Amino acid sequence: MSGVTSLGELERAVMNVLWETDRDMTAREVQDQLADRDLATTTVLTVLGRLERKQLVHRIRDGRAHHYRPVASREDHVAELMSDALDDASDRGAALARFLGTMSDEERSRLRDLLG
Amino acid sequence: MELTALGLGLLGVALAEPASRMLAAARWPGRDPVVALLLWQAVGLGGGISLFGAGLAYGLSPMGDSLPSATAAFAVSVANGVWPPVMDPLHVGALLIALGVLIRLLSVLVITTMRTLRARRRHRDLLDVLATPWPHASGTRVLDHPVPVAYCLPGRSSRLVVSAGVLDTLDTAGVVAVLAHERAHLRERHDLVVLPFVAWGATAPFVRGMVCAQLAVARLIEMRADDVARKLCDPTELATALKEVGGSAPAAALSSFTDALEARIDRITAPPAPLPVVVRWLVRLVALALVVVPLALLLVH
Repeated sequence: MSGVTSLGELERAVMNVLWETDRDMTAREVQDQLADRDLATTTVLTVLGRLERKQLVHRIRDGRAHHYRPVASREDHVAELMSDALDDASDRGAALARFLGTMSDEERSRLRDLLG
Repeated sequence: MELTALGLGLLGVALAEPASRMLAAARWPGRDPVVALLLWQAVGLGGGISLFGAGLAYGLSPMGDSLPSATAAFAVSVANGVWPPVMDPLHVGALLIALGVLIRLLSVLVITTMRTLRARRRHRDLLDVLATPWPHASGTRVLDHPVPVAYCLPGRSSRLVVSAGVLDTLDTAGVVAVLAHERAHLRERHDLVVLPFVAWGATAPFVRGMVCAQLAVARLIEMRADDVARKLCDPTELATALKEVGGSAPAAALSSFTDALEARIDRITAPPAPLPVVVRWLVRLVALALVVVPLALLLVH
């Protein structure tokens, strides 16, 4: 379970560790949680750096140690994605998302006006 | 050149308003979405050229008999430091309005594109961390949310996404059918097909014809994706999948939206007769003429 795993897959694994742990973690602690993957510390730091650039984690400096914390909960991010997808769908065809699900009252009335 | 300007102005207004509305309300586009989308592109492009050209031609009309010669005469005069006295405020105003609209359209296009690209990158970053691969189709990810949504994220690094709600509602064959539809959007870059109309709509949202155009184009790309998916999988499977996922939406969902979905579903199981070849070529010719005629009026005279 190492070597060929992609960066994207590692990012997902690291985020899952951070989400499942209820406190800020150092790179070392993340590495320990993923011990079965046999990752080098530099790899974990690289992944955390990428996640920080993508604004998915905060880095908090605590003396000489760096702690990492998720910017938002998994549920918040999923909600963000869903509302993106639904917004795009109602945004006058600006995007290609189709919504087969729910719409807010406001979206519905806007769409109704447009189709009127 | 005033006559050219008048002609172009009338053509531009006709395309932006009555023509767009009529085309949006017409039924034949459903028989051949590809040809209809071509015509829509021509209406958008031809309308833009006409309106912009009308302002340009009127503004420069005192300087010469054709746009190229008038532009050259104006440029030479200004380059020599002499403002041509025939260029009165009325003509200068027309010129400025034409250029202003052009700049606005182009900047809206650039801003829309940049904003879309940024939002897509963010969405992709989140997806890659949150969504898990779906084992039954390559390149498809599952987002853990009960509301059934299937969509594609276009771009060079595209993604196909279904929510857990979709997997709960449909069997594997149904999901594959919905994905075939989404994949058609990605492969044919339908995001680029709608882009000019989004820019037009954002430039002049007060023109109803533009809004109609956007909605009609959005509807046509859905039909086109249905047509592609219908050839790749069982049409009844696709229709059932769309109906079931769409049917799980709350009953309060917009009636015209469900009407549109119903019409689409009927179209999948009982496709309308294709347009006769002659009509298809006629539409293509009209599309070509809509772009060539205003250009010819402007450049050759």
